[in-house]
Amino acid sequence: MNSRTSAPIRRVIRGTKYRANPSPWTRVELNPHIAALLSQPSWSVRSLLPSEEAASTSEISRKQLHHLLKLSALPVPTTQEAEDRMLKTLQSQIHFVKEVQKVDTTGLQPLVAIRDETHDAIREQMFTLEKLQPWLDIEKTVGTNGTIRRQKSKEMIKGSGWDPFDMGKGKETRKMGKYFFVKKNKDVEQAK
Amino acid sequence: MLQRWTAGRFLRLPRFARFDLTPEALNKRIPQRRLLSTTKSPNAELAPLRKQLKDAARADRTARHAGVKATCTSKAETLSQWELTVGIEIHAQLNTSVKLFSYASAEYNEHPNASSWPFDLAVPGSQPLFQPAVLVPALRAALALKCQIQSRSKFDRKHYFYHDQPAGYQITQFYEPFAKDGRLVLTPQDGLGHKDDDTIEVGIKQIQLEQDTARTQEQDEHTSLIDFNRSGHALIEIISLPHLHSPEAAAAYVRKVQSILHAVDATTTGMELGGLRADVNVSVRRTDDRSARHSYSGVTGLGQRTEIKNLSSFKAVEDAVRAERDRQISVLEAGGVVEGETRGWSLSSPGITRRLRGKEGEVDYRYMPDPDISPLYIDESLVTHFQRTLPPVPEQLLDMLCTTYGLTIDDSRALLSLDDGTRLLYYQDVVSRLYTDTAQPRPSVQAANWVLHELGALLTTASTVWSPDLVDAQQMADLIVLQRENKITGPSAKRLLRILFDGDKSSVAEIVRREDLLFISMTNEEYDELAARVIGEHQAEADAVRQGGKRSSGKLKFLLGQMMRHGGRNRVQAQKAEEVLQSKLKPNDV
Repeated sequence: MNSRTSAPIRRVIRGTKYRANPSPWTRVELNPHIAALLSQPSWSVRSLLPSEEAASTSEISRKQLHHLLKLSALPVPTTQEAEDRMLKTLQSQIHFVKEVQKVDTTGLQPLVAIRDETHDAIREQMFTLEKLQPWLDIEKTVGTNGTIRRQKSKEMIKGSGWDPFDMGKGKETRKMGKYFFVKKNKDVEQAK
Repeated sequence: MLQRWTAGRFLRLPRFARFDLTPEALNKRIPQRRLLSTTKSPNAELAPLRKQLKDAARADRTARHAGVKATCTSKAETLSQWELTVGIEIHAQLNTSVKLFSYASAEYNEHPNASSWPFDLAVPGSQPLFQPAVLVPALRAALALKCQIQSRSKFDRKHYFYHDQPAGYQITQFYEPFAKDGRLVLTPQDGLGHKDDDTIEVGIKQIQLEQDTARTQEQDEHTSLIDFNRSGHALIEIISLPHLHSPEAAAAYVRKVQSILHAVDATTTGMELGGLRADVNVSVRRTDDRSARHSYSGVTGLGQRTEIKNLSSFKAVEDAVRAERDRQISVLEAGGVVEGETRGWSLSSPGITRRLRGKEGEVDYRYMPDPDISPLYIDESLVTHFQRTLPPVPEQLLDMLCTTYGLTIDDSRALLSLDDGTRLLYYQDVVSRLYTDTAQPRPSVQAANWVLHELGALLTTASTVWSPDLVDAQQMADLIVLQRENKITGPSAKRLLRILFDGDKSSVAEIVRREDLLFISMTNEEYDELAARVIGEHQAEADAVRQGGKRSSGKLKFLLGQMMRHGGRNRVQAQKAEEVLQSKLKPNDV
């Protein structure tokens, strides 16, 4: 209602002259219901983090923390203070995950990666007889019973041009003869 | 005096002991010394030591047998009260030229760390690149085990840390494998134990593609050497349902899977060379107890299972299952509880299994779908093609040999197993050349005898490795035809084979002409004359045959041999000659 007749909002930019042209900056009056709705935030990302009191008490025991560190091949913290900090961080992370888990996901398949899953894309990726024909062509039928044997010499193999030791400085320290090596402590050694 | 001692026949006394050596005299001199002699001693108390030792040994043996029999029967009773259940996971290396996710060479390379690409060493920034070549052996293996091929399958990560796992995880197919719901039928011929008379159908839960780890060598107790040639090589894991119920059946299952995989060219190396490894899961329960709670993939009512990892021979599978079964039974009978743990077995102590890892050391693999690898889509046309052109499995070949060629099971098995199946092809080649221009049925059984047994005997004595070029198929076929038509005698045929085996490549007709091997049949008069001459020369033997009795058949054979020797090398037929001799010596019996 007041769109044309109200004064333009002045903008003062330091050091430049402001030209008093009619500007697109006009005040828009909102429906008061919408305004009321938008005035108060209903959700903050802060809700994903635990409140101060909750953060101090941890649900994770020391034993569980050590187990998790062992699974991840990470070193156990040396000081009590570092461990407490780690537990606190872990607690806030668990709170975050619990908040996310509140979303109802019944019947949904977890998304593993964003891929092109259209019909055409799937048909393109599908392995058909034509795609595998080069490998079927170099096989040989042996005898009269239908036995098939792969001919080893005929395939083009690209694969032996890379030197795994040649990855920067200190090449000789990673080798023992032609092998990589690992030094281990017999007690820590875990049976597979 | 010395005479008496030497009559004892085993004891030589030293020179100084040649005094009065009668038992009484010796006893008077040294009462404690025993008389060592086998001659009968007049004094009953002085029973010879040797006899005493013999009696003691005999008593011990009978006691031991009685004890063993006792344990055998008690063990059989115990076993009948318990039911064993075994499930097996087999890891087999696929027969491809490239690895699963990199095009590094998967062929054997004697130089360590010489065939890898960055992804095989999990170099940061390297990406997986699925190699279609692995689908050929993988699909053939799955179809040979009668599985349903899934049109879409996905790859997952199985996390654990070990120095042969460069990425910290192994790429496998845990949630959606490429093949499911197969089966394998074991028959008593596959080597099931004497208890299993019926056929067993073992269900296969799934077959999945996965990566192999690197190879580790222990240099000393603190150092391991690592070779990444094998890292990333394509494997299939074949997971069976717990349908096996004896150690022999478990070994038979693994053996059969290996032979099937080899027949369809899915694997090349067997268990002995490390191309196939088995992990077994063993549990027991009482046969009358329905309260056992555990279940696996739809099979319910099982006891707690334990896993035995890394068995690398068929015997190892059988022994490990047996050892673990016995251990679990003894634990449960003593009132204990079997824990779900991972155990190991080694050849040095085959009767026991050792604990490797308990429940608290159980690894949490944190299976997770791999986000870097897109799903594997397999088209129907590919599956149909492989199904249609699937190479025959050993069972089908055995069937063919027994029905079409009329061979016995043992001969068929021998033909299939010798020389990686090439002896079979040679045999078929030989048979196909027999009587090609007539409609006659081919003497395939005779041909098998020549190819397997006669040729086999020559190979063994000469310690040669067989090859199809040793004796040409055409030469062998010609020999068999000649022998069957009685143009040469049996012994002549063997001589001919020997000549061919020694490297003569000329045609059989030429050799027969050159060595004068053709059999010219003797007339009846010639046989009579020869028989009369031989009988005349060996009257004693002839009389013995005429009288009959115990030694008469031996004497007859002797006379027969004489006839063969004197009758000209390739002219006397043994059967006819025997008949003529019989008629001459025992005219009443004829």
